[in-house]
Amino acid sequence: MESETAAASSSSSSSSSSSSSSSSAATEASCCPICLDPLTDHAYLDRCFHAFCYKCITKWVKFAAAKHPRPLSSIRCPLCKVENLSIIHGFSGGSFQRRYVNQDQRNRCLSGAYELRSHVYDREEEIANNIFDVQRYWKSRKYLWQNMWLQNWLRREIQTITQEEDADVIVHHIQGVVESFMARQQKESLKGTPEQKREEFRRLIFGAAGPFLLARTKRFVDELELFLASGLNIDAYDRVYMQRLSMSSSRDTREIDAESSDQSVQSRFLYFLNEDDGD
Amino acid sequence: MQASRARLFKEYKEVQREKSADPDIQLICDDSNIFKWTALIKGPSETPYEGGVFQLAFAIPEQYPLLPPQVRFLTKIFHPNVHFKTGEICLDILKNAWSPAWTLQSVCRAIIALMAHPEADSPLNCDSGNLLRSGDIRGYRSMARMYTRLAAMPKKG
Repeated sequence: MESETAAASSSSSSSSSSSSSSSSAATEASCCPICLDPLTDHAYLDRCFHAFCYKCITKWVKFAAAKHPRPLSSIRCPLCKVENLSIIHGFSGGSFQRRYVNQDQRNRCLSGAYELRSHVYDREEEIANNIFDVQRYWKSRKYLWQNMWLQNWLRREIQTITQEEDADVIVHHIQGVVESFMARQQKESLKGTPEQKREEFRRLIFGAAGPFLLARTKRFVDELELFLASGLNIDAYDRVYMQRLSMSSSRDTREIDAESSDQSVQSRFLYFLNEDDGD
Repeated sequence: MQASRARLFKEYKEVQREKSADPDIQLICDDSNIFKWTALIKGPSETPYEGGVFQLAFAIPEQYPLLPPQVRFLTKIFHPNVHFKTGEICLDILKNAWSPAWTLQSVCRAIIALMAHPEADSPLNCDSGNLLRSGDIRGYRSMARMYTRLAAMPKKG
């Protein structure tokens, strides 16, 4: 931007020569507005549903966030300027993935234990089904003792599976189903075989969790049963899993110290919610 | 770097393909450097810039399209939002409101729109802005017209 303006360099070109036949631009609908190439790895913004390449839109989100003095929790669509909270991508059959604009903060928040759990749910088979004796749990009616870590455990599992911070509604719903089942067993504990009880319990939880957890429901029911059968607190339960997964013990589980987990996780979520005002 | 080059090449091909699509804009890429472009835009009708052809210089950063191109007028123009000496343009989409979905072509369109709708409240050219703000439309028009004649029109004879 020097000031040596080549004054009045009037280029006298008449650009009115319109000749060539109109070339069709019908293919434009499937092009990414950022790279202008055909879309690869389709990604959509969650409010306006404009489509981009996953790589392109995440790059833009990172770039826009880096320019911003405070962490961003939403991003304006490059096309329509609607504020969006997340990028939806990676469809495979019935499932998809979701990347939040404030993912990096979330990752910090949902680290350690959440990563472990999501790893557990990603695996097809149960890892710990031969550690804890589920049969005995039902036979010896251990369910009559309440597991006081259940709520925290449910919250963490559901947050992991749904990738939503605010899982309280689902948590209370499922906890209610579990507890009312247990309460009923206390009253009429003599009716039915342990197998029947187990079957009914699984059916109830499956029905309650199904609408929220979709394809992951069965694994969730398995895990819930295992957790209850284990009789362990969350910390101890995770340690067993980590041994099983032979993951490095350096990735410790300080995040979910059984006593304080509820408060610490909760308060961090609140902190992020407060940051939500954007610009 | 690679991404910006690929994207500019796409725009280049698009410009070649649709040369006649917008008769008011002519984009020309530098022969040896795809990061340098010039554009010739026609002054919009019913403005003091009508009949003039204005030359714009584009300098495109390596992070394009994450960053906007730097654009300035090479042709002298009397407009509240264009610096009279440097040709610098005050336009939100070239700064904070930039989005990677803009192209060089659409930036040119935005500049044409700015020529038709000067924004006197954020002037780079104070003389021009003051004329408009004080309501002296006639004064602004005649000044702008004069510079269009002097700088942006082919000299006759």
